[in-house]
Amino acid sequence: MGLFRKRRVQRVGPGRYAVHLQGWEQQLLTSLSADLRSVLEESTDDPSVRRLFPTAYHEDPERDREYQVLTRDELLQRRLAALDATAATAGARELDADGLAAWMGTVNQLRLVIGTNLDVSEEPVQIDPDSDEAPGYAVYDYLTGLLAEIVDALEGGLGDPDPEVPASP
Amino acid sequence: MTGVSPVEVERPVGGTEAEEDVPWVVLVWNDPINLMSYVAYVFQKLFGYSKEKAEQLMLQVHHEGRSAVAHGTRSECELHVFRLHEHGLWATMQHDR
Repeated sequence: MGLFRKRRVQRVGPGRYAVHLQGWEQQLLTSLSADLRSVLEESTDDPSVRRLFPTAYHEDPERDREYQVLTRDELLQRRLAALDATAATAGARELDADGLAAWMGTVNQLRLVIGTNLDVSEEPVQIDPDSDEAPGYAVYDYLTGLLAEIVDALEGGLGDPDPEVPASP
Repeated sequence: MTGVSPVEVERPVGGTEAEEDVPWVVLVWNDPINLMSYVAYVFQKLFGYSKEKAEQLMLQVHHEGRSAVAHGTRSECELHVFRLHEHGLWATMQHDR
């Protein structure tokens, strides 16, 4: 095959992104999205997902409590929307900007949850391939690579016209 | 870019009217998980910063532990914090001083 593996995600035009995922990758995205959805629906205060709902007023616990009450449900709905959109488009060969943004949101929140639960640090670590944590690290590393590609593709599209905005007359 | 209309944080929680005029600042804190390229991209996307400015802020987060990424009224900053949280960044807000 050579040195250059085909990119999984690539901008191919204004607002257009080609996607090349193998079947197992599509299944992984779909099942991880469903798993996280289940946990979020159960409770946003579950320790494994606390990282997805951070403090806003770090110097004022009372205000922060009020902020969380005001915004928690909206943030949850947005997170669920990204997971659902990704699961629905996991088999797509092409995505628009919104579609790829949903993937980015999904991959990012999955990394946050998995990474927090693995207690990852900024430094790379040697993982015993036979340890219980090894599969988690493998998934985490995979998502890291995928996210990097998504960011790279979307960066190229930062100047693209917003499809939601009608052209001015 | 998500296709979902922005949340309307019309009235910040608590506080007096005079307090709403006090400038607030949004901080983004370093964390061991978010990719540097991702953080810089989010700054460009959410604030319209140039690539250079976004990278400068991202590096400040990375090296100094945190960076002030936006200023504004309490309402404006709550919205910025909400969007940053939606993107998985660890953002908080405080009085600008």
